[in-house]
Amino acid sequence: MPLEAYLTLAAIVFCIGMFGVITRRNTIGILLGIELMLNAVNINLVAFARYHGDVTGMVFTVFTICITVTEAALGLAIVILLFRIRRTVMADHLDLLKG
Amino acid sequence: MMDAGFLALAAPLLHVLAFLILAIVAPLRRLGRPAAYVSILCAAGALAAAFNAWRAHAGDQISRMVWTWLPEQGQSLATIGVLADADSTVMLTLVALVSLLVQVYSLGYLSEEPKRALGRYYAYQSLFAFSMMGLVIAPNLLQLFICWELVGLCSYLLIGFWYQKPAAARAALKAFWTTKAGDVGLLIGIILLYRQSGTFDLTELQVLVGSGALPLAGLSIITFCIYLGAVGKSAQFPLHVWLPDAMEGPTPVSALIHAATMVTAGVYLLMRTAWLFALTPDVLLIVAWIGALTALLAAIMACVQDDVKRVLAYSTVSQLGYMMTAIGAGFAGAGFFHLLTHGVFKALLFLGAGAMIHAVHSNNLSDMGRLARSMPQTAIVFIVGTLSLAGIPLFGGFLSKEEILGAVWEGGLVGPFFILMLVAFLTAFYMFRAVFLAFFGTAPSHAPSHAPHPAPSHPAPSHPHDPPASMSLPLWVLALLSVAIGVYFTFEHPEPEFVAPGWLMPAAVGVAAAGILLAWLTYQRRAISADALASIFSPLYRAALHKFWIDDFFEGVVARAALAFSRAIGWLDRYIVDGLLNAVSAWTLTAGDDLRGMQSGKAQDYVYGVAVGLLVLLLWTQFKG
Amino acid sequence: MTLDVLAFWVLAVVLVGSALAVVLSKNLFHAVLWLALALTGTAGIFLILEAEFLAAVQLLLYAGGIVTIMVFAIVVTERLVGESISQTNRRIAAGALVVAVLAGTIVTTIWRQPLTAAAAAQTGDVTRDIGQAVMTRYVLPFELLALLMLAGLMGAIYFARPDD
Repeated sequence: MPLEAYLTLAAIVFCIGMFGVITRRNTIGILLGIELMLNAVNINLVAFARYHGDVTGMVFTVFTICITVTEAALGLAIVILLFRIRRTVMADHLDLLKG
Repeated sequence: MMDAGFLALAAPLLHVLAFLILAIVAPLRRLGRPAAYVSILCAAGALAAAFNAWRAHAGDQISRMVWTWLPEQGQSLATIGVLADADSTVMLTLVALVSLLVQVYSLGYLSEEPKRALGRYYAYQSLFAFSMMGLVIAPNLLQLFICWELVGLCSYLLIGFWYQKPAAARAALKAFWTTKAGDVGLLIGIILLYRQSGTFDLTELQVLVGSGALPLAGLSIITFCIYLGAVGKSAQFPLHVWLPDAMEGPTPVSALIHAATMVTAGVYLLMRTAWLFALTPDVLLIVAWIGALTALLAAIMACVQDDVKRVLAYSTVSQLGYMMTAIGAGFAGAGFFHLLTHGVFKALLFLGAGAMIHAVHSNNLSDMGRLARSMPQTAIVFIVGTLSLAGIPLFGGFLSKEEILGAVWEGGLVGPFFILMLVAFLTAFYMFRAVFLAFFGTAPSHAPSHAPHPAPSHPAPSHPHDPPASMSLPLWVLALLSVAIGVYFTFEHPEPEFVAPGWLMPAAVGVAAAGILLAWLTYQRRAISADALASIFSPLYRAALHKFWIDDFFEGVVARAALAFSRAIGWLDRYIVDGLLNAVSAWTLTAGDDLRGMQSGKAQDYVYGVAVGLLVLLLWTQFKG
Repeated sequence: MTLDVLAFWVLAVVLVGSALAVVLSKNLFHAVLWLALALTGTAGIFLILEAEFLAAVQLLLYAGGIVTIMVFAIVVTERLVGESISQTNRRIAAGALVVAVLAGTIVTTIWRQPLTAAAAAQTGDVTRDIGQAVMTRYVLPFELLALLMLAGLMGAIYFARPDD
């Protein structure tokens, strides 16, 4: 398969993930979308690493996965705390920054 | 010759010196009589200077002195100075003489005025004399216009001298604005003439006209605009409405300004630029016809007036029309001659009327009667003036009036000629009506209805008597001068510009005599009832009483038009100009409110914003090249 | 059609399909399960790209770890299905449009670029190369990453403390 195919696939998944971030009302749903976006990035990195014969991309991917895991854990911790305080996880209700 | 020019310059300078002293040194002004003496002293000096200047310029002698005022690339755009020749110096002498006599007369007439007011009066008198003289000796149209406007200002100040009286204040404003309407035309004419010829200077313009170098295109408009200035100042129809109302001012002011000097400025201007007007005969025709019409209208209105000053005011308007008709016929010299003689005897008549008013404390003829018994001197001088005005031989106005009639006939203006003959008849009639009603006839049946001017803490008049020396001296001077002029010109005919037909003189005298006869029959012998005369001419009578509704017309149409225009402009300002600004500011507020929606506080919306921004950037980079 | 191509297409369909299901599911729990499938599909893609180590890591951490904690979070917050409230906000149409155009732009950009035509033959042991690279060339980021994860761990413990 040509490289472009993998890149296209990654782009599509990325955009689907972005759609989820924009439209989901539940905060956890937003986090799911973020996971998809990061996944797509990983596919991109690995594809480039494979096709250029350079293993750097794969190393990058390992790092990305680790960071994503940390971020997901912390993000969910925040969501749970928010739920404790405000009894809601709807993103619409979290508008204290409203100008 | 330099010396003679300086003489002509000295006359106005003396007057302005008096004005500056009185204006700046306020304590002197507030003293009253000393201020008057300063002013009279300068006026006497000015008369001496003017008379000598006249003597030096008899004949063709011309002095011209100019100083650069506004420089322009090496040449001068505007100059000030003196142009002294036979005409201007004789006019200068007239102005100086009447100014001096009026100032002396005012000492007696305004003797009951508070001191501060008297000082103010003499300051204005000096300023006026200065402006009028500056106008007379002006070598160019710009100086003439400046002095023209100054004269108008002084007229306003002097008419409204008793400014606490609402009628006086209104009359002063009316005079100012009516003449201003004409002045606008004059200014436009001067500017257009400058554009056409490149100069303001009268001598240069005369040279241009003489050599035929002045293009004729558009000249009619120029001369008509200049004539408009004369219409305002010299009270031609329809801008004559201010002159009768101007009688609210003190009588010496009326004698000076509204008989001999200011109102004659228009006639003087046309005489000075006669060589220019000669190029536009169609405008001259307009001048003649309007002059004749004005003369007739004013004469009719003079027949029905009860206020003696108003009779004289309308008479002045009528005589100004006479002068203008002569100019329109092309013989400016005749008009100017009548201007000079009229200045003398009209001033005399006004000052005499002042004496009568001072004696009976009323302006109205109905409050006077049998005054010849109690005021013989006044009666004599007043009758001398009246005979001069009527144009009787041996008296001042005789030859000048004849010359005008002859000029109009020679100029081929048959219509105006017959109108002027009718006016001569009416002039004699209404003047002798005043004489018979005031000096002869029956004593007044009731006490004077109102005082002609405020302020006097005078005790109730016992019976009228001749005025004091300060007032009677000028009267006698003017009366003697009038007779002297009459006698001199009866025996010493000057070189005529034209030859009048032989039947003219008897016809003119006959018409005047007929007017006197009718007046005598109606008002002295009571053989003809005045009421019967009134009813025969009843539509004219009513119209004359209403001043031909001209004042009402101005008030109604012009005032309403001006108000409507103001309201329209006001609407425009409020709704369109302000509305535009309000719309802009409202739009700013709305835009702010709408943009605020971007800060919703929800993180998702910000991600959306990032996505849209990213998209835009990508699209831009893709499609930029 | 070779096995490579077939495998790719199958995995692609699975990945995209489950991704769509993740963002469009009304039931959040189902969405998490679909996410697990999507992550597994990604692992398959890694396998095709001959990155076995990464496929294993993906399955362990992503499909195993993250999905688990997601489930825990859902359980704790007890909002599985929006009772009668929709799971998606009012920005669906606009978001879909923006995202679609974005995807189209990126894809067209990709296909316009002159990229490597064919894959070079894979030589050597990829896993070993990764390990060597991490331990030698990228040891600094590796250590920093460890530090980051420690911080994250401490933060998570702090967040999870009971209310006092």
